[in-house]
Amino acid sequence: MLNLFKHELFSRRFAILGWGIGLALFGAMYVGIYPQMAEYLPTLGDIPLYQSMGMNMGSLEGFLASAVVQFLPIMLVIYVVISSTATLAGEEENGTLELIVTMPLARWQIVSIKALALSVAILLILTIASLGSTATFIIIQNMIETDISVLELFVAIMSSWPLLMAFLMIGLFLGAYLPARRTASMALTIFVIISYFGKILVISLPSLEVIKFLFLFTHFDTSPEIFSKGIQLEGALILLGVAAVFFVLALLSFERRDITSGLWPWQRANR
Amino acid sequence: MSNIILEASDLSFFYGTHRGIKDVNLQVTKGEVFGFLGPNGAGKTTALRLFMDVMRPTSGSAKIFGLDCREQGVQIRQNVGYLPGEFNLYPNMRAKDYLSMLASLRQTSPDNRFRNQLYERLDFDPSRKMRTYSRGNKQKIGLIAAFMNKPELLILDEPTGGLDPIMQHVVAELVNEAKNEGRTVIFSSHILPEVQAVCDRVGIIRQGRLVKTDSVHSLIEQQFKRFRIFFTSEPPIDAFSLNGVSEIARQDKWITLEIASNMVQFMQQAASYGIEEIESLPVTLDEIFMSLYSDEDPSVRAKDSHA
Repeated sequence: MLNLFKHELFSRRFAILGWGIGLALFGAMYVGIYPQMAEYLPTLGDIPLYQSMGMNMGSLEGFLASAVVQFLPIMLVIYVVISSTATLAGEEENGTLELIVTMPLARWQIVSIKALALSVAILLILTIASLGSTATFIIIQNMIETDISVLELFVAIMSSWPLLMAFLMIGLFLGAYLPARRTASMALTIFVIISYFGKILVISLPSLEVIKFLFLFTHFDTSPEIFSKGIQLEGALILLGVAAVFFVLALLSFERRDITSGLWPWQRANR
Repeated sequence: MSNIILEASDLSFFYGTHRGIKDVNLQVTKGEVFGFLGPNGAGKTTALRLFMDVMRPTSGSAKIFGLDCREQGVQIRQNVGYLPGEFNLYPNMRAKDYLSMLASLRQTSPDNRFRNQLYERLDFDPSRKMRTYSRGNKQKIGLIAAFMNKPELLILDEPTGGLDPIMQHVVAELVNEAKNEGRTVIFSSHILPEVQAVCDRVGIIRQGRLVKTDSVHSLIEQQFKRFRIFFTSEPPIDAFSLNGVSEIARQDKWITLEIASNMVQFMQQAASYGIEEIESLPVTLDEIFMSLYSDEDPSVRAKDSHA
């Protein structure tokens, strides 16, 4: 089992490095340009488009929360969609799964190992990405006046992990439940887009307030206060709860899956 | 203790509304080499996947070592080596690492000496990344994965696919060695001489139904017999127009006939033309297979499936 986990993680090493370094550079770029942009940013705070998107670019806190803390996970969610749906449905389609499921492992063990490896991979990507931003922040710290500490910035970026975990487990479930990877991938992409734009729409359309809990991005704090207040525990717990529920659903779905058959769930035997 | 290693009872699987296999009943005993014969799409792979719990039966059940394939799959698979008919490998992983990983997933400690022997016998270099291997070499990885833990039961789906004739011979040797060690082998193939060479018993699967199970020898014996007869006087063209008798060649007084039934009547009739010489000609499994597949009514053959 440990060897399978090692393989699962090791096989993602290039993705971890690639996405990690890429996002580290992205974060570093935004943090690095702040000293040059600082004097113009207060004027951006009045732009309606930014306001409608819940972004407050008028301060360093607002700038970092909007450009770094919010956008890093939005980009990383692309990897989550690709990797989560590639894990069960994708491996089934490309023919690597059959030999693994015919080993003396229970199906729940296979899903758990893969889910754990993916969770660790995302944590590592996020850590590398956070280090890029925080390292640059250390460099620019003496050029700006700020109350934000390096640790607060690091924690704020890492706080998107529960959100990514929720999408990851939904993807894993869709990959186990739906017959083909492309179907799972499409469904998850639509859900991510609705979750993001749903959060923005709630700002302008208060009537959507009653269903805002369905938009997972609303449970992820990207306000300027994230640095002073720290991680919102309630939101993080909701997202981890969603992740846990969909992980269990993924286990149950994979347990019933007729691998290689390409059948929809309702076409499968009730055994 | 029961000698039955694998038992399928009314095993059926449907891909939605499409037939996979239907009402398959089968018993395979310990130490037997059992061949699943059938053309592409007949249901061979579906049956093997149901045994391995890759898919779950629509109805019926399968047992291996007396354990239910669905409920006790993990326990069963500890002692089963499986080669899928179609599989892919992790392109960036080295074959030796992949095989070590698979070996480590079993409770039994891996027999590295035997694995090295398999590398040698199959002329396989395991140090390369798996994306660099040819179709045949990938098949060797699957074969090594199936054989390396010396499992009690080997389930091999088209084991010689992509292999050259020398390697096909090595696979036949490995199967025979497993049999000699008292282990059981079930394999599917549409290469009939290969099945005829290594199998004790075969099951012929047609349109999802197991239409015949018998020993290779009995199957050949029972299906039809072929004779070449030299007559004293040349019989007329329609001399042997009996049910179950067909004339397939004629050269002067030499006539070649295939006889499936009415042997006594035929012999009486043949004797009236004077039999000077009679030769029994071999019938191959290919011909049996083709004769079963040319039968228009599968339900007639299905009655024999519990043989």
